[in-house]
Amino acid sequence: MSTAHRKSAGGTRRVTKDRVAKSRTVKKSAAVKTEESSRQTMRRTIRGGRSYFFGDPAIDKVLNMVVVLGSEVWTLRERLAAMEAIQIKRRQLKSGEIDQFEFSAEDEARLASERKEFIDSLFRILQEQVAESRRA
Amino acid sequence: MLELKHELKLNKTRDEKARMNFVSGLRAHVLNDMAAGMRDIYSADVEPEFRRRNRRAPKNGPEVHKAIKTNEYFKFYSSLRVTAQDMVWQSVFPPLERSRPALKQTAARLAGKKPRGTLSLQKNFEVPRYVSAIDVHLMAGNYDGEYETDDLAAGSLYDNGLAVFSFGLMGQNLDDIGQSIAGFIKRKFSDLRPKKILDLGCTIGHNTGSWKDTYPEAEVHGIDVAAPCLRYAHARAQAQNREVHFHQMNAESLNFPDNSFDVVFSSMFLHEVPKKSIEKIMKEAHRVLKPGGLMLHMELPPNDQLSPYDAFYLDWDSAYNNEPFYKPFRDLNPQEVCKKAGFSTKKYVQFVIPSVGWYGAEVRDAAADQQQSVDNDKTGRLTDGVLWYCFGAFK
Repeated sequence: MSTAHRKSAGGTRRVTKDRVAKSRTVKKSAAVKTEESSRQTMRRTIRGGRSYFFGDPAIDKVLNMVVVLGSEVWTLRERLAAMEAIQIKRRQLKSGEIDQFEFSAEDEARLASERKEFIDSLFRILQEQVAESRRA
Repeated sequence: MLELKHELKLNKTRDEKARMNFVSGLRAHVLNDMAAGMRDIYSADVEPEFRRRNRRAPKNGPEVHKAIKTNEYFKFYSSLRVTAQDMVWQSVFPPLERSRPALKQTAARLAGKKPRGTLSLQKNFEVPRYVSAIDVHLMAGNYDGEYETDDLAAGSLYDNGLAVFSFGLMGQNLDDIGQSIAGFIKRKFSDLRPKKILDLGCTIGHNTGSWKDTYPEAEVHGIDVAAPCLRYAHARAQAQNREVHFHQMNAESLNFPDNSFDVVFSSMFLHEVPKKSIEKIMKEAHRVLKPGGLMLHMELPPNDQLSPYDAFYLDWDSAYNNEPFYKPFRDLNPQEVCKKAGFSTKKYVQFVIPSVGWYGAEVRDAAADQQQSVDNDKTGRLTDGVLWYCFGAFK
């Protein structure tokens, strides 16, 4: 358990460094620097409020989370199906090989970053209230 | 999930495509399967309970709404529908955000291409508050949100979002409404050979182009208040080799001369506009139409022509989908609206047109030769076997 936790923490640190490096590269290679800097990120929160249907709005929020989670489960299944299909086509996958596999440190770091995005997406609905309070 | 075919389509990763597939599937489940389930629950439980208490059936949509609101299935249906609606747009943001610089470059390249459609935007244009102040159908940023100079991201959000939202029912090019209706009109009114056609509130011009396809000789114009959608519409039409002229204008006060168009059309537009503005828009349509010209609005069917349950079902959007003008529009009598704008009651028209994508051109054309009832649970409803409703008048 503790080993897994250390691995995960280390992965997150490496990813943070990697992100900084990437953003520098983007700035340097941008064709029109002024245009790049005037571009704002699109707003993703909805003005006008969200409707809730259950006696306790928490139920709607939890339902939303379950659905987003369902979406990610499906996404994984599609990806896995694509991967398996490719592997089978190339005759590169042997039975039991995935169960025996260990990730490299680099792959672990990438997974940690993707896991964070996954968790952010899962709980995005809670951020709406935060955004509303910050606007007020 | 529907894949757009034109050059502005977003490059998506395998995972992004999978998320969109999921949302399309979720919406199809809610709007087909759960909607059918909710109707059965209403018939078996909710309506009998209402009758027992009131010794009569519900009279209208709001009475059905009040009666069904406490039902658990309605709560799940509604909560899931709101979630799915939100997820439509959220599924587009990541690939769109990444593609914005490339999107602008593609649009710039397409602008120089033949055929030369045009784009006219106005400096200091005032976007009406009913567009600028809300995020209609939970679309963050709405049609007019701009995040950089010459921005067209909102147009891309709408195009790609609609592809997820419609789960195939709006056609491969999202123009099933335009293709169904323009083809139907050509069949029904073979003497009408329009030279100039105007599409009001055209957004990304997805249905404007159908008029050019149907009447290649005609000069086709589309207007909207939202600059990012118009920039995108122009690029989209160019990518699809359609010569269409897009203008930033408010349909309440058009910069076109009197008697200048043979057809004035709109689709899914009036229900996003307040009643007072609808009156002005109708008068403007009358003014710019040539004598003998046709005004035609594809819309949601009016409440007074639907059963109480179907009226409730369609008004769901007004209550829960950030569509404040949806029910007030549907409460209007379309014939009265046309009359008030100066159209003769004798020249009023109303059609229920089978989706050409769903039923094929033969069924659609056969419908042009017969009168159809509006009161059908597929009229104006995004569900398998959709029938498009439209009304208008000849001048």
